Amino acid sequence: MMSEPKRLHPAGMIFNIIQAIRHSVFGFLPLVLLAVGNDAWFYVILGASILIGLIIIFSVLSWFRYTYQLEEDQIRIEQGILIRKKRTISKHRIQSIDLSQNIIHRMMGLTKVQIETAGSDHRIDATLSAVTKADGKMLHDQLKYKKPVTVVDENEGTEGLKQEINEEVQEKDYPQKKVTPKALLAAGSTSGSFGIILGLFGLVFSELETFIPDRFYNQATEWLFSQATQVLIVFAVVVLILLWLIGILQTLIQYWNFTITRYDKELFITRGLLEKKQSTIPLKRIQAVGIKETIIRQPLGLASVYVEIASGEIGQNQDMHTLIFPLMRKKHIVTFLKELLPEYRYQPKELIKLPKKAIPYYMIRVALVPLIATIVIAIMFFEFAWIPLIVTLIACIYGYFQFKTTGYLIQNQQLLVQTRIISRDTALVQHKRLQSLQKKQHILHRKQGLATLDTAILNKFVGRHFIVRELRVEDVNQIADWYSYREKPL
Amino acid sequence: MRDQPNERIATDAIKAWKLTAQLIAIIPLLLTIAAFVGTYFFDFLQYWVGIVLAVFTVLEWAITILFIPQLRWKRWRYQIYDQEIYIQHGIIIVTRTVVPMIRVQHVDTQQGPILKKYGLATLQISTAATTHEIPALLEEEAADLRDQISELARVEQDDV
Repeated sequence: MMSEPKRLHPAGMIFNIIQAIRHSVFGFLPLVLLAVGNDAWFYVILGASILIGLIIIFSVLSWFRYTYQLEEDQIRIEQGILIRKKRTISKHRIQSIDLSQNIIHRMMGLTKVQIETAGSDHRIDATLSAVTKADGKMLHDQLKYKKPVTVVDENEGTEGLKQEINEEVQEKDYPQKKVTPKALLAAGSTSGSFGIILGLFGLVFSELETFIPDRFYNQATEWLFSQATQVLIVFAVVVLILLWLIGILQTLIQYWNFTITRYDKELFITRGLLEKKQSTIPLKRIQAVGIKETIIRQPLGLASVYVEIASGEIGQNQDMHTLIFPLMRKKHIVTFLKELLPEYRYQPKELIKLPKKAIPYYMIRVALVPLIATIVIAIMFFEFAWIPLIVTLIACIYGYFQFKTTGYLIQNQQLLVQTRIISRDTALVQHKRLQSLQKKQHILHRKQGLATLDTAILNKFVGRHFIVRELRVEDVNQIADWYSYREKPL
Repeated sequence: MRDQPNERIATDAIKAWKLTAQLIAIIPLLLTIAAFVGTYFFDFLQYWVGIVLAVFTVLEWAITILFIPQLRWKRWRYQIYDQEIYIQHGIIIVTRTVVPMIRVQHVDTQQGPILKKYGLATLQISTAATTHEIPALLEEEAADLRDQISELARVEQDDV
């Protein structure tokens, strides 16, 4: 299966241009602002047009020199204007091929192809920014199936049979789960993302200040402050509701039609309203499964499910983990995992909790700073001491809830760790994924028979530690025995 | 993880740590001298600053040189099994670590100028997510351990 070197679809140029402009905008923005401040419009326009001209020339050239070629069991990519780069990716090294489409892709019937390899070196991965859908499908099929389909040629007779088997394999019912619009609405309305959006708004407004004429700005602020408090409150509520709605909309766009399918050796996710995204998660790369309940969602019995993946850019954002289901009722998680990830089991009922003597540690850890503040303020301004006192009390309650949440459970080869920072987070890890295990005790711990457990898995960057503080020392010993690869002592 | 590991690190570790502590103690010493000299030239510096610094210097010296190295050495233990590495360390917080051989990605030995003076080396064991150290082993011992561990760790690994 050899093919001629092929260029990307010409629309690839557009993507190059957009990307280059997007990258350079931030670099040049301060310069532009400075120039605008000095009324040097002419230079700004001149500079911008030269820059855009260069970008266009560069994009066309790089499109022209970018070719890909499908060979027997590898794909060869050549690129570079001055420095020619050739890269071949062997079929056997390819972990996943994902097709995704944004709006422009969809209008023109194109697709983006992302090829990911097994290593942690992202430079080996390749992205074809625009090919026709048919080509994308062809690439996907050619590179995905490790054994070339043409093998059957030598034996005419069995071909039909083979074909049948192939079809049968394709028709095999793989477990699949789709998010309902209702659940997405719930996900959007309980997401904490409006804090982030609020921040963004603040940023935009403070930037706008430089563009809006001072007079107008002053008038507007004066008008605002001259209003009665009631009006201001109503105004604030309206803004908050608006932000909340934007948050919902954002979730809807991002996770629209979220569908997860379990194949033999991988999970496959498609999602997105405007931009259709596919991602493939090879099971081999999954280091842990997590269940996250934020404080808004926990009382409603809702949770999101995620996986920790070793390296890879699958999520392609700064998120530490990849969602495998945006939101579901907590009681459904058991069956969800049973169907899609039977390798992991979730039975939250039988958790082994911390001993009561751990409570003071949990409280003091969070309440120490406000407590000191209380004492200092009580000495200096006694009449205000109630403020830090309330903070201290809240901290104590928070510490108590952390204590309440924390627990662990060992089932066969799986360790379940439940902790809380703010959200309740339950992680399911397999024995073979734990990189090391530590037991920590300080003097008081030793006297009280407590110990802290610290174990780590690999995830995107450096590794994630699961730390369970103040367990019974016997429990930690038991976990250590379970973890130890040594022959068990008689 | 009920019993502590058997092997101790080299006794010269104490000397090496003491020397390091001596070198570090030079910093507060210099600060103290600077404070006293400064008091002589500048009005805003009071004598008590220098005195506080001097007390601190002496205390720091005494604690980090007379006590900590011995305690640290006493606590430091390790044991290499065929299937895993078992380490114990820490003065106030005692930490016991288990690193399975099949999780070990690579082993290094390291030697700074101070360790070299005493013929010692540090063994560093890295997994995909964590790094662990056994400090101040005899040079040959560290090299042997490194080879031994890398031999034992040479097991077929499925994706990390």
